[in-house]
Amino acid sequence: MDILSHLTPMFFGLIAAGTLIGIIFGAIPGMTATMAVAVCLPLTYAFGLENGVALLLGLYVGGISGGMVPAVLLNIPGTPSSICTTFDGYPMAQKGEGERALKTGIVASIFGGLFSAAVLFFFAPVLADFAIKFSNVEKFLIILLALTVIASLCSNLLMGIFSGVLGVWLSLIGTYSIMEGGNGETRLMFDFMEYYLIDGFSLLPVLIGIFGLTTVLLDAETGFKGDSEHGRISLKGGKKFSFGVFKGQLTNLIRSSGIGTFVGMLPGVGGSAASVLAYSQEKNFSRDSSQMGKGAPQGIVSSEASNNALTGGALVPLLSLGIPGDSTTAILIGAFTLQGIQVGPLFIGNNMDTWYLIIIALVIANVLMFGIMYFAIRHIAKVIEVPKYILYPLIIMMCVVGAYAINYGIMFDVWTLLLFGVFGWVAHKIGLETVPLIIGFILGKSAEIYFVKSLESYGNYSIFFTKSPIAMFLWVLIAVSLAFAIYLNIRNRRQPEVES
Amino acid sequence: MESQWLSLLDVSIDFDQSHLFFPRIVTWILVILLAVILLTRYRLLVPGLKHAGRVLAGREGEFDRKRFFGTLALTTVYFYMMGVLSDVFPNTGYSFLICSIVFVFSLSLLYVGQLSRRLVVIIVLNALIAPAIAWYVLAQLFRITLP
Repeated sequence: MDILSHLTPMFFGLIAAGTLIGIIFGAIPGMTATMAVAVCLPLTYAFGLENGVALLLGLYVGGISGGMVPAVLLNIPGTPSSICTTFDGYPMAQKGEGERALKTGIVASIFGGLFSAAVLFFFAPVLADFAIKFSNVEKFLIILLALTVIASLCSNLLMGIFSGVLGVWLSLIGTYSIMEGGNGETRLMFDFMEYYLIDGFSLLPVLIGIFGLTTVLLDAETGFKGDSEHGRISLKGGKKFSFGVFKGQLTNLIRSSGIGTFVGMLPGVGGSAASVLAYSQEKNFSRDSSQMGKGAPQGIVSSEASNNALTGGALVPLLSLGIPGDSTTAILIGAFTLQGIQVGPLFIGNNMDTWYLIIIALVIANVLMFGIMYFAIRHIAKVIEVPKYILYPLIIMMCVVGAYAINYGIMFDVWTLLLFGVFGWVAHKIGLETVPLIIGFILGKSAEIYFVKSLESYGNYSIFFTKSPIAMFLWVLIAVSLAFAIYLNIRNRRQPEVES
Repeated sequence: MESQWLSLLDVSIDFDQSHLFFPRIVTWILVILLAVILLTRYRLLVPGLKHAGRVLAGREGEFDRKRFFGTLALTTVYFYMMGVLSDVFPNTGYSFLICSIVFVFSLSLLYVGQLSRRLVVIIVLNALIAPAIAWYVLAQLFRITLP
């Protein structure tokens, strides 16, 4: 068993370190799991694939889980995915039940995390086996569907689609690669740029810029107003936690974990949607939802089970189709590429050891997250006091390392980080959607290859509609997602009119 | 009849120009979407731009110009100086170490609200220790390329 040789103390140590660092990042308001993965990415350059992935998955699980700490103690979600934890967590903390609220969230988190790991283990290989049969036409349509779904779930459909197409356009800058069957010519740039952009913008400096530097700039413009102890609640004293709080919560746990896993599979939807959806379903279906929003543990259970279930769900499309499920897995795709691994339908079959190690790492990360947070929650809660004037300069410093080392020392990648950091800030101001932009950027080059190869083979645009029943089914899904988005847009426009 | 209609969708891609085929389609879609956005939002565009100008100039809103533009300026100088110094100390990571110490110290000073002697000591220690640890762990232990 080759796999056992990878289960070294280093492997477990890296998961533990990743989980702990992730929890710390998640616990600091404004810093997300994505940022944790982006900032710690350079550390994986020194490791092999298995150890690198162990660290990154620990960061991912820890980052999502840590978000509940400020949600309960400060009424500020540490990560967007813990938005609904504030609804009941903070009122509980105000009543002196802060530790009880946090431990309820921790237990729900491990349930959600393990549930989604099981779904990932059983479902991803099936999806990958199915996707192996796809031709270039179906592969192009899958990418089109992913971009449509992401854009349709944005607050503004038009801006969502524009952002996704802009991401695709940016990915096309550079050479039409001969390795991929292209003619080796450059495009979308002036001649003087060829020296720098012959291979286009590197993925990771772009991601690190948008998720690292942009966050710092957005906070800098506010003058770090959230960097205070206002509203902070102590964990000392109050009602103790007992597992009795989960009596009658099994349905809630399973439903919320299922919702989180499913939402995670949809590309780019994000943890906040999973949390809100699970919370609203619990409110609709529970026998007694009268206390929800006033400090009911069931609200924390639904929110935390769903957002941790997102982790395994988001890895399903990544590992079976090569399509990232959220912004954090978008960075993971970069980490895989760095190690010379192409994720997609062939990944699991060709890398069985790595596949099993990913599942093991995910399970261990959840167990360690539980152990670290459950027994050390009082110490972890102190993290929210670390001031941003100490943290943010260090984050920019680590962003530089990540960008510079990615191609073994190219200063242009560092400038790319700055360029896209500022671009991310501007995008935020003018209402561009970051997630479709990033997913478009990641999938753009593949979309081009599949599109052009399909037309070179068949010589007619109608092939995208008539190639196979799967192609037709994918068009139906694209039409449904667009119709759903238009319906949501119309409903959202009417609602303010009715309210006014 | 059906084949006549289908022939309208025929396409042949010249290999020499194939690098422009997909980018042209994407560029056209982008231009059309931009036009639609501008047409549907033109009423908001001019007031929005004027408001943004007033905010950036510090005449309206709560925009912390000092910290925002200070971050941009310090980051730009940090990156530029790192490039310059990496030619002086090639392949050692010293450029990263020196520039990071100065950068972390300067940016912390920019971000901190009210200075006290205790805070200055913390900021100085943070600026000296954190980049040194990062340099040692990444460049010396893990042999990661640093500027």
